Order: sequence, then structure tokens, then C-alpha cells
Amino acid sequence: MQFQRFWLFLAPWSRRLLTALMSAVCLCAPAVRGQTPQCSPPAAAEDAILDFAQLTAHIDGALASAWAQANVQPAAPAADAEFLRRVYLDLAGKIPSVTALQEFLANSEADKRARAVDDLLRKGAHAQHFANTWRGLMLAGAADSFETSSLIPQFETWLRLRFAVNTPYDRMVTELLNSPTEPPAPMARGRAVPSPSAFFQANEQKPEQLAASTTRIFLSVQVQCAQCHDHPFSHWTRREFWSMAAFFDRPAMMAVGVEASQPAKGGSSNAIVIPGTQIVVEPTFLDGSRPDWAGGSAKRDLLARWITQTDNPFFARSAVNRLWEHFLGRGFVHPVDDLDKANPPSHPELLDEMARQFALHHFDLNYLIRAITATRAYQLSSRAASAGEGDLTQFAHMPLRRMTADQLFASIVQATGFREGPRPTQRGALPDLTSAAAEFRQRFADQSVPRTEAETSILQALALMNGKLVSDATDLEKSDTLAAVAEAPFLSNHQRVEALFMTALSRKPAPEELTQLVEHVERGGVDRNPKKALADVFWALLNSAEFALNH
Amino acid sequence: MSRTSPWSSAELSRRDLMRLSWAGLVGASTFPWLEAMASQTVFPSDRKRACILLWMNGGPSQMDTFDLKPGHANGGTFKEINTSVSGVRISEHFPRIAKMAEHLAIIRSMSTKEGDHGRATYLLRNGYLPQPPVRYPTLGSLVAKELGNPAAELPNFVSISPFRAFSAAAFSPGFLGSQFAPLFVGEARGRNQNEDEYDLTVADLNAPKQVSEATVNARLGILNSLNDRFVGTHSGAPAVGYTTAYDRAVMLMRSKAAKAFDLDEESAEVRESYGKNRFGQGCLLARRLVERGVPFVEVTLGGLDGKTWDTHQDNFDVVRELSNILDPAWASLMSDLKSRGLLESTTIVWMGEFGRTPKINDNKGRDHYPNAWSTVLAGGGIRGGQVIGRTSPDGTTVEEHPVSVPDLLATVVRALGIDPMKQNVSNVGRPIRVVDPAAKPIAEILG
Repeated sequence: MQFQRFWLFLAPWSRRLLTALMSAVCLCAPAVRGQTPQCSPPAAAEDAILDFAQLTAHIDGALASAWAQANVQPAAPAADAEFLRRVYLDLAGKIPSVTALQEFLANSEADKRARAVDDLLRKGAHAQHFANTWRGLMLAGAADSFETSSLIPQFETWLRLRFAVNTPYDRMVTELLNSPTEPPAPMARGRAVPSPSAFFQANEQKPEQLAASTTRIFLSVQVQCAQCHDHPFSHWTRREFWSMAAFFDRPAMMAVGVEASQPAKGGSSNAIVIPGTQIVVEPTFLDGSRPDWAGGSAKRDLLARWITQTDNPFFARSAVNRLWEHFLGRGFVHPVDDLDKANPPSHPELLDEMARQFALHHFDLNYLIRAITATRAYQLSSRAASAGEGDLTQFAHMPLRRMTADQLFASIVQATGFREGPRPTQRGALPDLTSAAAEFRQRFADQSVPRTEAETSILQALALMNGKLVSDATDLEKSDTLAAVAEAPFLSNHQRVEALFMTALSRKPAPEELTQLVEHVERGGVDRNPKKALADVFWALLNSAEFALNH
Repeated sequence: MSRTSPWSSAELSRRDLMRLSWAGLVGASTFPWLEAMASQTVFPSDRKRACILLWMNGGPSQMDTFDLKPGHANGGTFKEINTSVSGVRISEHFPRIAKMAEHLAIIRSMSTKEGDHGRATYLLRNGYLPQPPVRYPTLGSLVAKELGNPAAELPNFVSISPFRAFSAAAFSPGFLGSQFAPLFVGEARGRNQNEDEYDLTVADLNAPKQVSEATVNARLGILNSLNDRFVGTHSGAPAVGYTTAYDRAVMLMRSKAAKAFDLDEESAEVRESYGKNRFGQGCLLARRLVERGVPFVEVTLGGLDGKTWDTHQDNFDVVRELSNILDPAWASLMSDLKSRGLLESTTIVWMGEFGRTPKINDNKGRDHYPNAWSTVLAGGGIRGGQVIGRTSPDGTTVEEHPVSVPDLLATVVRALGIDPMKQNVSNVGRPIRVVDPAAKPIAEILG
């Protein structure tokens, strides 16, 4: 029944984007999909509600048949240590502590991987990393601007509190779209006041930018090119774009040189005029339907309801695709921001089913996280098994992913025991740019390419090799971790090298690594001093590709 | 300029040449052979082109620099002076640049629409308006990609004293990726920066003092074996990108070319001639980098040391002060490049994000004004000694030859031998041209 409604809803879209999307991937008539069994998802029943373990099984089945069809040999399963490091980086945003790793390795229960995920989610250990990641998405470019960068803490705090208690995704989006367009003061008594209002500042409160960002972020539909002309690559017309923009109000005062849209003559009080034309447009959703004004709801609330209603085929798909990319390095649709017909998903039925289940579970993010992290695909090794390893669309091995600046900083802190000294309290709006974290973030800020295509800059390499953070961490007099390992009288050099591996790489050294490095330590390196030689080992570990990449 | 010389250059050492070039600075026209010889000695004739962007952060006042309106109420207090080109007159505070006007193409008809620092900075430096999620690359990254040598010891894009607070994305390689990212030097760190102190060396280029070179080598040996093992079992761009960046960083650490950043190699007179300040020394560094084959260098004036071109108050005092910094630095840069035979292959761009209001406000300041303002091109590929466009007598409107940002940037990249219509693959999967296809390069400038 639910499913029926779902497809009925599609009818107005069907001549447009979705039709094309479906026909591009299914090669079958989309309008009566229920009657074309070859296009049905492999799920048992159309209206089945799957718990997370069932969804995991469904994903595993769908990917396995895709592997068989493409004759792809999936990589070996990830070892426990490899899995734990990965899941800590993806959820907690940093590598695990040695204690957490040892406990996990010693645990012999069959479901310990799922429990590890559960533990992190229950404690809300993922909230900060998720807030950081989704802030980067929702406030794209905010960190670049003097005006909006000071609003980041309140936005991240707002997100963090929502993720920590697993607020349903539709409610988060509704709250964001309904928030006041003016943000509260950035700080109160030294703390950020949680608020999503920075979304409006980051879009300069302009209806056209808000419409473009809203559809791109929450629906993964790109309409912004239709702002000035009919979209050359897609189907959106300028009129449709501005009808969507009409859900947002233009503030009274705008900057110099910007053409303000005048009040519309001959339209309702909600209508606007397309700038530079005489064309009057009424607020209209992208599927062509008009809001129901009868209830007296505000424009933005009506828009939020339309976006988040269970039947909107783009809302759930967009979120599922983004979460899949978060954990697997690549979305079913790539780039993730573009659910266009010209950009079909790699696994259309699987994406549909996951989106359907996400909606059926009232947009429960932790449900999806549990299901995805338990899949075979997520738990495959990053060691590529076959020559087809360049193909990331099969999810047949875990791709290497570059860390974000925050992941890398938090991981260095975790490995080295670095503690930032007390910082001067910030009373004004300016973020503290002199802290080690801020300096590091600036040096490593790079959102330019997907994390699987990442590049590293020369200055980043120099910072890790010679910068204060790693230099202090590998200085016997300044580093807690290194000093503890070097001074502990009960450890052999074997154990010392092993401890540094566990600390930095979350694994034990391979026999040949151990032999080589113990030899280096025992010879004492350049200065014939075993403790200093141990510092060399720690330096090399912290600078290694294996440390800096999520794998 | 003659390219033939009877002089055998082989016996001249580099240092001799530097000394001779200093002589050339004061008397290049007296000894034309010196110029020709210099060009033959140091650089092969097939040398690639380069670009130096003099970035005027904050938006310099066109009415007090290159488009004065003496006699008009909007004109302000500065006088105009004659230049080496008859009929072309500029601010009295540019006495040395005025003597080299034959190299300048002054565009007085810039006409744009962005009056916000962040968006205008992005527009001028990246050539497009911000349009998330597309991450447009900054001009330097585009040029580095086209003209750079991936195997060079020095990075292909160096940004000196950048002020990134208005728009960090305007200093970013965007979708081209961080192999085309600028190497930033001289970026102020921390507060309480003494105004007279500037450090234009590469951050973290050397290991800490207590770590000997032998130790560095031993550590790199261990690192290489760890990385070899990892890369041998893990394929993928991030691993390649990571180890490549390390290789390049180590190459730079060990490189003699990194001596480019050691300004103490220059004589006290030369350093003095550029001005002993952040921007002046930055221009000297730009010259040293271009000499060593770096295809794109930018030097920012305004922002890091407190003074900027954003002169809402006390416009005339601040513009005079900044002009006194700009004039010797820019003039020394051009004459040094000229005496080395490099000016004809090095395109110089002088621009900020917008101009300033013709009307003087109550604080003796001028506010943001994108409608009618000036930029200047010089050197390689640029037909100098001319003025493009004209503003109205009160300075408020462009009366002739309006120039858009894409027009300007297309002219710059054309001068560098790059096709502005060339496409790069963007992060959203669509091809995007080096410059907006609406651009019309300025024919009069390209000759």
C-alpha cells in the first residue's frame, strides 16, 4: 500500500526526471513498474519492513549478485584491527585508542563488530564527526568567508546535539528550514549557542541561493544553472527555478550592485518576479504541485513538509546515497550531489530499497548506519584482490580515503597524547586562529575532490614532517606517548616497536617490519641511542601513508 | 630588442651576472647589449611564459591611482603626473612606474557587479561567481596546470603574503586538486605580529634544529620502506598523491632551488630598491622564483600588516602610504625582469576585487564600487603604452569599452599562450572552461 502511494506520487515526475532516470537504468516502462517483474528490487515483498540485519542481508545479496554478474572477485574480509580502525575513523572521526583496540581484539564474541558500532552510537561518539562532516555539506564554503566562519560553532553544536540523540533526519531538515533567518550571537558565556540559522547566512539570505542549496543538499537535485537560463544539461526551466525560490523571502536590504526582485504585480502576496523580466511566479514545488495554503502555514514550513514527506523519492535517496558514500567512499550515485537522469546510480534497485526502508523507519539515521557498517562490502579489506581494483563502482574492496583535517588532527592527538595548552577565552565573534588545531585545519583544509581521489600538498607533507605537532610528539622530552614507551623498564625493544605500531597504525607490525625496526632501535640509529632511534620509528609511523589514510 | 650578441656568455658566472644586472637596473638602456646577453645566459630562448599577479586586497581606489579626475569634486587631493607615454597620466605617487608606462596597458573601464569583498575576490581570482558545489580553481592553479613542470623542484604556484580571510576558496586549486595548490609563504601567523616583521620562507621547510640531517635521512629511509609496503598492497589515488607530495616536499627540502627563498643572497642595494617591507621583498622573491622557472607567482599588498586598500576612512593617507610601497616594488620588479630579458615572457597583472566610489564620503573615505574601475596589465604578451576604455568626468560610469572579469582574465591567459576556451573536468563531472565562454579578450592589448 505504501509502495503503491510511492509510485502514484511519481506520476507527476514521470515525464520528467525520474522517468528518464528509471528508463536509463531499467530499460522498461516506468509508469507501471509493479507489472514489470524484471525491474523489481530483489526484496521478498514490496511492503516488507526490514530490520537493520535484514537490510544488511539485502544489501549483501544485491552486491553479491552484481559481483557475480560482472565477474568481480571481492577482496578478502578486513581483519578485526583493520575494521576497528576504519569504523572509529568513520564514526568517531579518529583512530581507536590502544586500550579500545586491545579489548576489541581480545573479545571473542561473534557479534563484536556490531557491538562496537552500537557502543559508539549509544555513547554519541559519532556526533562530533558527523556534525563536522554534515556542516561541511550544509554550509559549503562557510569556512572560507569571514562573515560566516564565526557561525560554524553554533551550527556544528546544533548538529552535534541532534546526532547525539539520533534525531530523525526529516525532523532535522524541517527544523533547519524553519529556523529564524537571523542567527543568535555566536557565543554566550564562552559557549556556542546551538542554531542552524547559519544556513541562511551562508546563502546570503537570497531566495535563489537558498533554493539551489536546499534542493542540492536535501534532494541532490541541481537546479542552480536554471537561475539565469533554461538548464542546458537537465530539464529545469528558469520559471521552475524561480517558482522554487519563491518559497524564500528576500530580506529588505541587499548588497550594492544586486538587482532586487520587486513585489509582484498581478500575483499573490507570495509571488515574486524573475529578476530582469516581467514574469510573475507563484511558489511551486519542483514536481509542479502547489502548496496548500489553507492551513495557514508559513512558506518555508510548507516547503519543508514537501521535501521531507515520505513520498518524496529524492529526499530519502539523497540521504542514503550520502551515507553510503560516507562509509564506502563513493555513492551509488556519483557525484553525490547529482541524482540526474544523465547520472544514473550504479545499483538503482538497491538504492531504491534502502531509501524505502529509510523512509519506513522514519528516517532513523542510526538504523542506516548499523545496516551499512554490518555489510560485507563495508567489512572488506582495502587490499585490492584483482586487477579490477580501479573500479570503485562495484564496492568489491574498500577504497583508500584521505582523512579530513579534523580526522587527521584528532588521530594525531589520539596517537601522541598531544594536549593543547589553555587558550585565551574568546569573547568576540572571531574564531581562535592561533590554536594548533586551527592552524592544522587551515593547512589541511581541502574539500576540493572526493576523498577517494585525494591529493596531498607539499605544505601538508612539510607540516607533518617538520611541523611542531609531530616534531614535539617525536621529541623524547616533549612527548608523553613516546617517553612512556621508551622509558618503561618492563618492555623489550620488540614490545616497544609493537606498542608504537598499535598506537599509530592500530595493528601489530609484520615480522619483517619488526625485524628491521628492532634492529634500527638496537643499533641506536645515527646517534647510537636506542631511545632516539625509537623516536625515528615513531616519526616514520606518524608520517606514513598508512597512518594518514583511512583504509 | 636584439637577440643576437657577440659576447660569449660562458665565462660569466651567475653572480657576475647578478652584479651586472644591478648595473642594468640603473642603465639598461645605456647598455643594450647587457639586456640581450642576460637573456641568453640565464635562460634558454624556448623558456615558457610566466605570470606575476600583484593582488591589491581590499579594492584599490581607481581615482587615486590610474584614473584620476583632477579638477572634479570627486577627484580628491592627489595630483596627476606625466608618464613616459605621452598623454597617459597617473598618480603622483607612482613616480617610478610612470617612467615605465610604455610597458603598461591601463584598463580604466572595468565594469563588474559584485560589491562584496568575498564574492568579488572569488570572481576576480577564479573568474566565476561562487556556485556551490562547483569549486572553481583560482587563476594561479589554472596557469600552473597549463604552464607548470610537474617534475620541477620548485612548486608551480607560489602565493606570497596571501590574505585569505575574505575568501579562502579564491586561493584554492578547486576541482584541479591540491597538486596545483599554491605554496603559501609569508602568511601571518598568530596575532601580535610586529608590523616590520615578515618571514617569506617556506613554513616547516627544515627539520627542527635538534634533528640532524643524518637523522632526517634515517627517518626517511624507514618511512620509505613503510610506504613501499603499504603502496605495494593498496592501490588508489590517495596513496599515490600522498607519497608524491612527500617526494616533492623532500625534493624541496634538499633542493638548491629552494635557495630562491633566501633573500639574503641579494645585495643590500637590491633589497632596498624594492622597499624593505613585506610587499617589496615579496616582489623581489617573485622575481627570483620566476627566474627559476616558476610559472605563477602572486604577491598580495594589503591585509596582513593592518593597512588595506579597503579605504572607507582616510582614503588619501592610506592610498598614499600603499602607493609608496607599491611604486618602488613594482618598478624594481619590472626593471629587474627587463634587464634579465624576462619581461617579455612574464605577464604582470595588477588588480584588486573592485574599485571605490568616486564620491568621497564623510570620513574622507571611499566605499566599494564595482561599476567603473581600473586594472593594469604589463610585460609579456601585453602591448604597453596604452589606455583601454574611459570613465565619465565624474568617474561614476564607463563611457567606452566596458571590460568584464572574463574579458580581463581571457586577455591574461591569452597573453600567457593559454587558450581561454580550454576545458577542465570539474568536480561535478561537467567540463568547465578556463575562462567563462562569454569572455572577449581585449584585442588592443594582445596586439
